[in-house]
Amino acid sequence: MIKQEKIYEDLFPLLRRVRVIYILVVALLIFLIMNFWKVQVLDHEKYWERSEANRMREIALPYQRGLIMDREGTILANNRASFRVSLIRENCEDYDKSCRKIARLLNIEESVLKERIKKYESLPLFKPIVVKEDLMLEEVALIEARKLELPELVLQSEPKRFYPFESLAAHVIGYLQELSPEEMKKSLYGERRLGELVGKIGIEKQYETALVGVHGQLVEVVDSLGRGREEIDRRESAKGQDLTISLDFDIQKEAEALLEGREGAIIAMDARTGELLALASYPNFDPNKFINRFTSEEWLNLVTSPEFPLENRAIRGLYSPGSVFKLTVALGALDSEIVTDETTFVCRGETTIYNHPFSCWREGGHGEVGFYDAIRHSCNIYFYNLGKELGIEEISHYARMLGFGMKTGVDLPGEKTGLVPDPQWKIKARGEPWQKGETISVSIGQSFMLVTPIQIAAHTALIANRGARVIPHLFKYLSADGKKIETKNQFLKHEIVDIDPAIFEQVIQGMWEAVNNEGTGWAARILGYDVCGKTGSTQVISEDKSEEPEQKEPEEEEVKTHSWFTGFAPRENPEIVVTVIVEYGGMGGATAAPLARRLFNIYMRKHDR
Amino acid sequence: MIDRSLLRNIDWILVGLLLLNSFIGAAFIYSSSHYLPGNYFLKQILWIFIGSLALFLFLMVDYKILVSFSPYFYIIAVATLCGVLLFGRLVAGAKSWLKFSFLQFQPSELTKIALILLLASVFSKFRRDSISWKKGFLSGAVTAVPVFFVALQPDLGTALTYIPLFLAALILAGMNRKVFIYIVIAALVLGVVGWNFALKDYQKNRLTTLISPSQDPLGSGYHILQSKIAIGSGGFLGKGFRKGTQSQLRFLPARHTDFIFSVIGEEFGFMGVVLALMCYFLFLNRLFKSVGQARDRAGVYIVFLVAVMITFQFLINVLMVIGFLPITGTPLPLLSYGGSSLLTNYLGVSLVLNVKMRRFVFV
Repeated sequence: MIKQEKIYEDLFPLLRRVRVIYILVVALLIFLIMNFWKVQVLDHEKYWERSEANRMREIALPYQRGLIMDREGTILANNRASFRVSLIRENCEDYDKSCRKIARLLNIEESVLKERIKKYESLPLFKPIVVKEDLMLEEVALIEARKLELPELVLQSEPKRFYPFESLAAHVIGYLQELSPEEMKKSLYGERRLGELVGKIGIEKQYETALVGVHGQLVEVVDSLGRGREEIDRRESAKGQDLTISLDFDIQKEAEALLEGREGAIIAMDARTGELLALASYPNFDPNKFINRFTSEEWLNLVTSPEFPLENRAIRGLYSPGSVFKLTVALGALDSEIVTDETTFVCRGETTIYNHPFSCWREGGHGEVGFYDAIRHSCNIYFYNLGKELGIEEISHYARMLGFGMKTGVDLPGEKTGLVPDPQWKIKARGEPWQKGETISVSIGQSFMLVTPIQIAAHTALIANRGARVIPHLFKYLSADGKKIETKNQFLKHEIVDIDPAIFEQVIQGMWEAVNNEGTGWAARILGYDVCGKTGSTQVISEDKSEEPEQKEPEEEEVKTHSWFTGFAPRENPEIVVTVIVEYGGMGGATAAPLARRLFNIYMRKHDR
Repeated sequence: MIDRSLLRNIDWILVGLLLLNSFIGAAFIYSSSHYLPGNYFLKQILWIFIGSLALFLFLMVDYKILVSFSPYFYIIAVATLCGVLLFGRLVAGAKSWLKFSFLQFQPSELTKIALILLLASVFSKFRRDSISWKKGFLSGAVTAVPVFFVALQPDLGTALTYIPLFLAALILAGMNRKVFIYIVIAALVLGVVGWNFALKDYQKNRLTTLISPSQDPLGSGYHILQSKIAIGSGGFLGKGFRKGTQSQLRFLPARHTDFIFSVIGEEFGFMGVVLALMCYFLFLNRLFKSVGQARDRAGVYIVFLVAVMITFQFLINVLMVIGFLPITGTPLPLLSYGGSSLLTNYLGVSLVLNVKMRRFVFV
């Protein structure tokens, strides 16, 4: 063998340097192994969970919301099948390009689409985000045909809320809207998901927890493109409970028809139980539009409309009670024995009390007026005198006792409290002492006093029941799979106010005469059906809705009149209470009373009287 | 031309280690692509066969002759790189491929062999233990030309693998520490300038997401994260061959190419990783040990540069899959799917064998 050639080439310095590099490599290798140890052994748990989360996908199976039915089983809120398309961001090859394509395909603005997706940014990438709902069948076919081209789009069919009678009883039923991130934090929506539709007002909100169903769940193994490979677990969804409410479809329909073209509210209530047969507020809206996602323009129109169509005037409208409040004052005066039903006052059309002139609505006056005639003709002078004798403290005491200044407890969200003024309130709210003259105004329901129509209805029922208070409500019963669920109806407890029933009889006599003996409420009279009632006309300063209030000159202010009527029938064993308010409707006897008559009439015909 | 006695001097252990690692790679290429169309596993086996054939054919020519021809190889390589820029095929945003009627090829891979031979040729002429500035710059320029062309493709990952060859040659030549520091400073300046003017957005993304992978879940950080999840979820013993969910359900990107090592980590766990690293280390170790057996300077340079070429890519790749480096698109030599890379590494090993088996022969 030939000897090595290294003899004339000294390669040792080179090899020494190679050695340095070699040691460096070995050190890096050890460092690598230590890292694998950390990732694979020490942090194994964490990565294991993430790989499981990667491969498992939970899909929520939609549930059906419970139906809402009227007392006779007419379905007011139903469900129907609807298609929606969702985007899985993870499957987008190029997010922007996808958005552009989808926007064109679905005919929506790209910016609108992106904004929509941005709302749900926090969701994991593989979760579908709804981009369009309620697809037309043509759109479904279009998407189906491009399935391979657009793996990021998924079609889903889901049951969807549907209100077959559109705006009918819209304020009672309410509407659904997407759950917002802020609302998610409330415990009410504990198990719910972002973007799910939940009741926002009305019965839909009040009985949300009963109406809502339970999502089903599908767990499947998916690949990185989100394609389902294998189903692992499936739990079917459960339908929500059906709710029967006390509304009577026919009466509700009539009430809304009567209000058409006006602004106001009508309430019809079972006097014995407090069950609401009709609760109409006008103008109204179509709750189906909320489900189908408004365009922003439609939404703005609804919210900024000067008629406030979204407001439920029956429970949220604040009005002066006007002459309707005379019933309260009359009850208070009799109960505190300031007057008897034989007390008379002389009405000359005007009078001066505490150095202020006060007038009756009837020029020239009513002459000598007795208790029953005072109610019958709604004589202001008579009640000025009662108010003066009673004093503000007593008036407010009786007002509160008879249901004003507090919520009636109706099972609708957002009920307003109203206002019963007294000297303490005035000091606190206005920083001014009570003026004696204000007591006089309050005694005919003017000045600071504020009530809601539902309070007037509850108040009327209390009188009709001769002192038994009812809670106005809509709830009748819940049912599941057609079977009634027995629950204690918390609304059926009757509290009796501490006023002698005989006193109620005297006030009722006045109310009867107001309708049946050529009184102010004569327009509500029905032969053979003893309607008792009271009108009210409250003078308000008209707000010109087309202009900003501050631009208006005082001279342009116009005194207008809200028109009230509240009553019940029949006189003995009363069954129904009707309360009507028509904003800017003129005198109560002229506008509200005939509307009430129509409702009494339809109720009477329905019940064979 | 080939002597029978030469065959006896072939380092069969090195050949064995080369094939062992290649087949480990092929096994995991099978695991990560058996459900895909394209027959990657069979193609890789074919490439191993072609590579082996090329390896033995290349052995027949004395490396000294190859070194003497190195300027021509180099010129051909650079010309081909220009050709790629002009006529190349666009794959994944880079023009790195030349397509012939039946196969496509990445010239930037074979350029490494030409560069190694040329550097060996240049550096072996320095007999003293220090190099002149002039020679230093010459060798730097020789490296910079292919770096420039490949970076233009743009294939930064491959372009960067040329630079360590040059640096390794400088170190071996006994470069002054001061000069080395200058070069590092120059590299930094180049880096800053490159970041601001030369790097494409996707390359910048890759670098920034390295620092915080979860910030950009669908960008390149997503890939690093998926790779770490694959490796970490494998645990100590792994999920079993063909049972890695990250790889089988395609959450792992580039499973049969750049991220083949993540598949090993997921399916065979920490034990599998250590075993695979051991096999690889035995191979690298044998390459480094071979440096001392070269009989002349050119031989030392060739063996060392081949060892550096493979080691550097190996380290870059494994550091990448475990999240220490940005995704550069550097395959794991021998294990990753890919004919050009495999052939290049086989030719590199062929050069090492060439040097080793001719150590006893007089010129």
